[in-house]
Amino acid sequence: MTIFDVYTPHLQPAARTVPVAIYGNRWCGITQLTRRALDRAGVDYDYVDLDDHPSVQARLQSLTRGLLRTPVVYIDGDWLMAPSLREVQAVLARHGVWA
Amino acid sequence: MDAFELLESTSTIAPADTLEPVTGDIAHVRDLYRSAPPMDGTRVSTGLQPGTAAPEFALPMADGSVVRLSELRGSPVALVFYPLDWSPGCSVQLELYQQEYDEFASRGIRLLGISVDSIYSHGAWAAVRGIQYPLLSDFQPRGATARDYNVWRPDDGHSERALYLIDADGIIRWTYVSERLKELPDFDELVAALDLVAATTAIPRGEEKHAEGTHHSESKEEKR
Repeated sequence: MTIFDVYTPHLQPAARTVPVAIYGNRWCGITQLTRRALDRAGVDYDYVDLDDHPSVQARLQSLTRGLLRTPVVYIDGDWLMAPSLREVQAVLARHGVWA
Repeated sequence: MDAFELLESTSTIAPADTLEPVTGDIAHVRDLYRSAPPMDGTRVSTGLQPGTAAPEFALPMADGSVVRLSELRGSPVALVFYPLDWSPGCSVQLELYQQEYDEFASRGIRLLGISVDSIYSHGAWAAVRGIQYPLLSDFQPRGATARDYNVWRPDDGHSERALYLIDADGIIRWTYVSERLKELPDFDELVAALDLVAATTAIPRGEEKHAEGTHHSESKEEKR
């Protein structure tokens, strides 16, 4: 055991499929963290990059009445803004994706 | 319905109810960064060019032991300069690299974080964020290593957000300095760079015979 032997968190595989969308930026840490976690767990999602789609960013600004914080994550009827991974996991669990 | 149609059919977005009640002190402390004052700024230092010998450093980590770059010779190193522990917003870079640690480890790359924070701050920050790889303290003289690597922000008293990939011979192979402090390197580009530094790394002494005749690209495939 050295200082470089590091524990890597293992996420449970997805148990069912629900509609998931992520509106974020490739340079954003939360976007990267969320996408990579879903990739690892085998959860399908749509991804829209806000640098590539400024009109979507404007639409989100309007829908959130100017209180937009990105990334925005949609999970089967629930909307999250700049969520922690724990929040994303909790909502997915609530929708039966993660036990 | 795709993500674009979803927005067209939506009339308002109200964030979902709080899903994770704050139940303990640690949960509260862990999320403090989310409501901390914003940190932003554009790049003022450009880093060192690939091909440059990586400057030596000897810096303490949270447990007080000292990590010297020269002692890591023989393994590639990912050196992640970040502005500060406890910083806000999109700054979940260290957590991301913890989650993705096997992308580094599977290529034999040793991952090190480095900021101007004290070893005590590093210990607390790593504990609440679940970060288990070493965080080095560039504390005294403040930012000396960040200056050596040309990623210092003199007006802010902390480094740029920057990432160096150093090969097993101590040569910088990949340099990234964020244009804006809140920006991280694209993860796919980082993984491509990890492949690059792993491929340019000499076979460790003592393993030449074992690996004889093995092409680098083949050995990469084996690791996947």
